Amino acid sequence: MEDQNKTSRTKLIISRLFAYIFVGFFCILCIFFFYLLVLNSTKTNFELQGKFSFIPGTNFITNFTNAINDDFVKIPVGMVNSFIVASISALLTTYFSALTAYATYVYDFKLKKLVTTFIIGVMMIPSQVSAAGFVQLAFKFGLTNKLWVLIIPSIAAPAVYFYMKQYLEATLPLEMIEAARIDGSSEFATFNRIVLPIMKPAVAVQMIFSFVGSWNNFFLPGLLLTEPELKTVPIMISQLRSADFAKFDLGKLYMFILLAILPVVVVYLLLSKFIIKGVTSGSVKG
Amino acid sequence: MAKVQLKNIKKVYPLTEDIKKKKKDDKPAKKINLQITPEGVVAVQEFNIDIKDKEFIVLVGPSGCGKSTTLRMVAGLEEITSGELLIDDVVMNYVEPKDRDIAMVFQNYALYPHMTVFDNIAYSLRLKRLPKAEIEKKVYEAADILDIREYLNRKPKNLSGGQRQRVAIGRAIVRNPKVLLMDEPLSNLDAKLRNQMRAEIIKLREKINTTFIYVTHDQTEAMTLGDRIVVMKDGYIQQIGTPQDVFNHPANLFVAGFIGSPRMNIFDGQLVRNGNSYQVKIGDYACALSEKKCARLVANNVASQDVYIGARPDHIELSETGLEAIVDVTELMGSDIHVHMIAADKDTIVIVPTNGESLLFNKKDKLNLKLVPNTIHVFSKETEKNLEW
Repeated sequence: MEDQNKTSRTKLIISRLFAYIFVGFFCILCIFFFYLLVLNSTKTNFELQGKFSFIPGTNFITNFTNAINDDFVKIPVGMVNSFIVASISALLTTYFSALTAYATYVYDFKLKKLVTTFIIGVMMIPSQVSAAGFVQLAFKFGLTNKLWVLIIPSIAAPAVYFYMKQYLEATLPLEMIEAARIDGSSEFATFNRIVLPIMKPAVAVQMIFSFVGSWNNFFLPGLLLTEPELKTVPIMISQLRSADFAKFDLGKLYMFILLAILPVVVVYLLLSKFIIKGVTSGSVKG
Repeated sequence: MAKVQLKNIKKVYPLTEDIKKKKKDDKPAKKINLQITPEGVVAVQEFNIDIKDKEFIVLVGPSGCGKSTTLRMVAGLEEITSGELLIDDVVMNYVEPKDRDIAMVFQNYALYPHMTVFDNIAYSLRLKRLPKAEIEKKVYEAADILDIREYLNRKPKNLSGGQRQRVAIGRAIVRNPKVLLMDEPLSNLDAKLRNQMRAEIIKLREKINTTFIYVTHDQTEAMTLGDRIVVMKDGYIQQIGTPQDVFNHPANLFVAGFIGSPRMNIFDGQLVRNGNSYQVKIGDYACALSEKKCARLVANNVASQDVYIGARPDHIELSETGLEAIVDVTELMGSDIHVHMIAADKDTIVIVPTNGESLLFNKKDKLNLKLVPNTIHVFSKETEKNLEW
């Protein structure tokens, strides 16, 4: 009996050990490149072209100043542009997707199934396919070089809608809406005051995803924005490749990339608790 | 404080694609109690009732009988297919729920989870843009009635089921509605709490002057709370009457079986007329009916026929001679024993008072049962209606 206990305990320890090694390996794989980025942003161009070292350099402040004051790639301008586009897109995407999800969940209307299927069907079409037509349209109407051209189309987000609808189905009892109606609440007031606060975790998760998606979006801004003052961060990063080779500074380049991902990291860290809550909620009836 | 009239109310749900397909396949519908017509699925029909001011009406019936649909039509949450709904003589068919001056308590409380108890109760008053002081006064009054003042700053998730239901009631009564609708408000509570809340609803009724319409599938709630009970089945009203009326004079076999716990025993037998007197026969056992019952049957000119004979478990006595029965199972309930037995090939329950003595019935014991003449019910085999009606 005691031997059997000992064997099963050893088996448990070994299986856990394997699990930890496996998980640990992938953690390192994920974190290592971030570490490398931060490490490289502290080094000079000369150090970076030399032998690789895990020890951080002392050029962080210089690289930062150089990056901020670069004449060719105005990263602060790009960050402001990206922030405007990403934050407004995230807000509008989540609000309107939640509103659409609410409508198709709560109201019964003719062709409701068709509408839902159509929206989800749009999800299957690659964004590049529809983007070609959209860019052509934007050029014909002279809508290029305007930030709101990037914001408006992002409102229609089938994936966000789908997530919101699933969340509503799992968490919102229709009686609550009926109770609000009897209480005298208008349909919009019910949505804004009752439904949205209940959807807070889902809204937070989708805001983060939309923000990150919009922040990292290179495809559409690359096609629609040509004026330097309107360019977003991903376009600016891409321009670094065509930068003057005589002034090429790898330290500054890494600093650019670090600055580019910083807002995303901050947003993630601030709202990560909502992500966990939002992703898992609805899976089990609470 | 209002009278409510429902005149020939009918509710038909349009056929969904699934039902249409099923009809084409000609397979039996899943819910056999729902009537499916070319118009759609009929949930409620021929619903007529005049509810008096401050009356407590209980709609009772099994699942799917249309009681909640009826309540929701009164609330304005379901459209009325045909018929008229009047509150204080004003037709309400097309009036928005918020303009009907009604309040509703839901089975699952339907509290707003992100708001405190105070905010939950105050929500409707804030929407009416009442002054802050008045809102506070009204919320505190409602909270005092329901004894939830100490929970006003808590969120619903931090309350027990009973407390949540009180908050839901508070949210309803704070508006001082003309009609208070309750849709199985105690069904989510455990048995002990349900009894306690039932008593509190009776007390609440004394404190607030309003008309109540209460939906339940629990006949005990119906019997204890209602001034009148509306028994429903398959969308039709089976009987409307006071609890005593419905219990003592069930209109048909369904009501007889549904109201009363344990349910009424039903035997196959014969009704034999002998001039102006009647007797019932179950096998070899015969029992003469009381004079009152005979008079009613004579008035209806009821002839001798095969009938269903109903007798409540507490209206059957043990005796030396009578209907033979064999004991199956016994349940000691404290002051009495529920003896389950087989009599005339039917499962039969008899409530035997213990009177402080320790009675013992063994499985397979042979007993003789005697029906009490003035408590026997006879139902037509054809229509299942009470022949005294």
